[in-house]
Amino acid sequence: TAAMEKLIVLCLKFIILCGTVDAVFEDQVGKFDWRQQYVGKVRFSHFDTHMQSSKKVLLATENNVFAAINTRTGELFWRHVDKAGQEGSIDAFLQHGQDAVLVVGDGRVLRSWDINIGGLNWEIVLDSGSFQSACLVGQQDNVKHVAVLKKTAISLHYLSNGHQKWIENLPESDTVDYQVVYSGGNGEVYALGVVPHSHITIVVYSVEDGEVVKQVILIYCSCIYSIQVLSAPGFHPALVSTQPNPARPPLSEFFLQLGPEHYLLLQLNNGQIVTLRDFKPVSNCASTLNLFSAETGRRLLDTTLIFNMDPYGGKPEKVCLFSFRKDDSVGYRVMVQTEDHTLTFIQQPGRVIWTREEALSDVVTMEMVDLPLTGTQAELEGEFGKKADGLFSMVLKRLSSQFILLQAWVAHLWKLFYDARQPRSQVKNDVTIENLSRDEFNLQKMMVMVTASGKLFGIDSKTGSILWRHYLDDIPSNAAFKLIVQRTTAHFPHPPQCTLLIKDKDTGLATLHVFNPIFGKKSHVTPPTMTQPILQSIILPLMDQDYAKVLLLVDDQYKVSAFPSTKNVLQQLQDMASSIYFFLVDSDQGRLSGYRLRTDLSTELIWEVVVPTEVQRIVSVKGKRPNEHVHSQGRVMGDRSVLYKYLNPNLLAVVTESTDLHQERSFIGITLIDGVTGRIFHNAVQRKARGPVHVVHSENWVVYEYWNTKSRRNEFSVIELYEGMELYNSTVFSSLDRPHAPQVLQQSYIFPSSISAMEATLTEKGITSRHLLIGLPSGGILSLPKMFLDPRRPEIVSEQIREENLILYAPELPIRTEWFINYNQSVSGVRGIYTAPSGLESTCLVVAYGLDIYQTRVYPSKQFDVLKDDYDYMLISSVLFALFFATMISKRLAEVKLLNRAWR
Amino acid sequence: MTSPGGQGGGGALSTRGGGGARRMKWALELSAGNTRSRGDRQGGQGDVVYPIGYSEKPVPDTSIQETDKNLVEKRCWDVALGPLKQIPMNLFIMYMSGNTISIFPIMMVCMMAWRPIQALMSMSATFKLLESSSQQWLQGLVYLVGNLLGSALAIYKCQSMGLLPTHSSDWLAFIEPPQRMEIMGGGMVL
Repeated sequence: TAAMEKLIVLCLKFIILCGTVDAVFEDQVGKFDWRQQYVGKVRFSHFDTHMQSSKKVLLATENNVFAAINTRTGELFWRHVDKAGQEGSIDAFLQHGQDAVLVVGDGRVLRSWDINIGGLNWEIVLDSGSFQSACLVGQQDNVKHVAVLKKTAISLHYLSNGHQKWIENLPESDTVDYQVVYSGGNGEVYALGVVPHSHITIVVYSVEDGEVVKQVILIYCSCIYSIQVLSAPGFHPALVSTQPNPARPPLSEFFLQLGPEHYLLLQLNNGQIVTLRDFKPVSNCASTLNLFSAETGRRLLDTTLIFNMDPYGGKPEKVCLFSFRKDDSVGYRVMVQTEDHTLTFIQQPGRVIWTREEALSDVVTMEMVDLPLTGTQAELEGEFGKKADGLFSMVLKRLSSQFILLQAWVAHLWKLFYDARQPRSQVKNDVTIENLSRDEFNLQKMMVMVTASGKLFGIDSKTGSILWRHYLDDIPSNAAFKLIVQRTTAHFPHPPQCTLLIKDKDTGLATLHVFNPIFGKKSHVTPPTMTQPILQSIILPLMDQDYAKVLLLVDDQYKVSAFPSTKNVLQQLQDMASSIYFFLVDSDQGRLSGYRLRTDLSTELIWEVVVPTEVQRIVSVKGKRPNEHVHSQGRVMGDRSVLYKYLNPNLLAVVTESTDLHQERSFIGITLIDGVTGRIFHNAVQRKARGPVHVVHSENWVVYEYWNTKSRRNEFSVIELYEGMELYNSTVFSSLDRPHAPQVLQQSYIFPSSISAMEATLTEKGITSRHLLIGLPSGGILSLPKMFLDPRRPEIVSEQIREENLILYAPELPIRTEWFINYNQSVSGVRGIYTAPSGLESTCLVVAYGLDIYQTRVYPSKQFDVLKDDYDYMLISSVLFALFFATMISKRLAEVKLLNRAWR
Repeated sequence: MTSPGGQGGGGALSTRGGGGARRMKWALELSAGNTRSRGDRQGGQGDVVYPIGYSEKPVPDTSIQETDKNLVEKRCWDVALGPLKQIPMNLFIMYMSGNTISIFPIMMVCMMAWRPIQALMSMSATFKLLESSSQQWLQGLVYLVGNLLGSALAIYKCQSMGLLPTHSSDWLAFIEPPQRMEIMGGGMVL
């Protein structure tokens, strides 16, 4: 039978292998793309201690993720992502044995997970009511129940299947604020409630039937225990106690938190509180961990662990400890979470096993920056940058730089040869900041990511490795970020420069962080200090003498300041002032206003549109991307005439949603407005529709998606603008001189899924056809050809239509599985998609970010400018050589034959 | 053996004197100058020795002359009318190949366009051919018209296949994106 089993297994393997052979481009999996999975900021963490050999740490996070992480490598064992927002938030996490019990969604659901495999044991829906606390209830060393305390009721559930044993209403729940539930393993459950400034109520329930055993009321002045502490203003004491086993009473030692970093270790001993140790805050760069005995408050020997914090990271915030008995002493491992949401796992002599950058689960904004040229290339570039000094020296310079290039090439060849001889696994392909350089087709870029925690990352787009990180520790909790690339890498020897505008939404004050996007270092350029609240910033195409683009900052007095503000820049601004316009959208007041710059850097209001805020509010405003190129100025009709596109670079798409959310009366509106003149070109209202609205505005089209409340489905709508059969002015575009309104075409479609993010592909010259990249809640990223969203799609076929290659109108948009660019690499909780052009016209780089980060390349018109990846160079070249030699030989033979014939 | 140093008109056989006599018994010298060596004989073209029975005086034959002239004339007309005769054939090919753009119709069109152009380029050579004809100019004109018609036909074919850049869409790729006159920026209040 063993042979039989083996045979069956072999057959199964064969079948499975056959199945995978069919998969498309199997060899390309992970070649151009990578995915990183995160869990987010940790709220609860537990080491899996029920098995000695277990190497799991369980995390429940603020991003509604419940995950198990391998303590050896830091990789995920499994991960469960719940609904976003309040609905999926994890309120409590209890662990017993191999069961993990979670209370989710403000006490809505109680769930139990098997921590070994990450499978769901059971899930029950709890009665409504605001969740307060939960605990495991044990009896005679067996833990069989879970108690859940809500605002008005307490319930007990079986740990094995989740069934409710009993539920009781809490006495006087309208006056008493019940906060904690506790069980000491003696067959009773205690619920503790507080009436502020009056008394404390403790209700004791029997585990068996939920009967109230007794009810104790403690008046504040009749304190049982008291200790003397010096109270300072802003004193918020907190108690931290531990209960290692829910079937036994907790430890009699507990912590009293006096200040943010000041703790007292106290012991309750026969009705007396004894202070065991006073832990005072220490300020140190290197963090130290010590183990103290809870019974005595003494430091345990040989448990000191010193580890150096990342100088670009934050301070430690949370510690999760796993201690074990080692021969005669105590050993431990610790997971530290710092302010920048970094998880660091440390083993005893201070060795960092792994770190996880969980800040990347909350990327706010990002940019892709070209990598710098290599030193040799830069040398060559620099040659043209310098001023010419004589013919002879220029020739010499050219020769020397050519020589350097030759040297580099030979070195490169040698390296290739050397690497080829070594086995593949041994070839080190480490990317470090030092050896970063642009590749031939500019496919590798630096991803600069700004996270909500205020940590900045520089990530290599090819491998996904983090090349630099920088933590800004003074970020307000309610901050808005705007990342601006002021100088690209194209201006050697000037370093590239990025500016991050950080605005505190509460005070309105903003700061600028200027840094080098390649190395992450703070720039020596001192940003201006802004005393006025900042409303918006505008990046101008003007450059100062160091090739940095000028950033205009608009303050709340509608005055403008420039950064950099050298004399040269101010002079340029004065010259250009009459053609610089900007617009501001105030969502709270429903106001869109356009301004013009005056030569003295003050502004004047030139137009204003007011949207009544009681009816609708402005949700988003989308302009065009400044780096977008449109290759074709029109569309060719079936009769070979041209329908010219209306390519207004100043056009804005303003989306409004109704304040009334009733499904019969709700609507969304989209307005196309010129940002310079305030002229409204088009206004569409979708009745019985609701947001969230996702918009993409590019070229001459706007695509938006909304929820149709009447038909209960998601719909796409596309608006295209055309100038007509003739161009008004083909050389210059001025919003002030366009007398004819554009023709507006619109069409709508049904989309079979809701979407979470949307963006359009972008290429270098705009020749490649466009696709829409749509992040779906299922984790897929769909690449939908723009061809399907075309308001000229006809309902009846004609000769001209066929000539034009238009698809017949069908109300449903298809989702084809081959359109998913991330095959089976699901991306959870996509919040944004970023696209960047590469050096190849056919290729567009895509980054989807949310809980996970996924990077790939897309080819909307296939790879028309590259040889296929599996192109058979060997075959082609061998055939070429063979043909060449065959020609040579046959030529020779023919000559001989001719000669022989001549002799005959 | 004939006597050495025979008549100038006939081919002379002569025994070679000197060293030659030593090697061979006899030699046939077909040139006039007996004394000249071989290399010299090859260089001299003018003093070719006519074969036996050749008369230098032409023998007139008037009866054949008449038909020859007609033949030349006919031949010249053939040349001149050639392109015109090809037109029906071309029309047929055009009709058969259709208006789709694929390799065979393109090859046909290329041939159709190239042949008249080639013919027009080598006009002078054709004129030389026609030189002997009395109606040289008329024939030349017909030849020219035929070729022009042929190329017109090719152009018409190109037109019907849509290969001629006569529509505005053919020049669309050359339109540069217009220059922006205003600089605009802004957005939602942060």
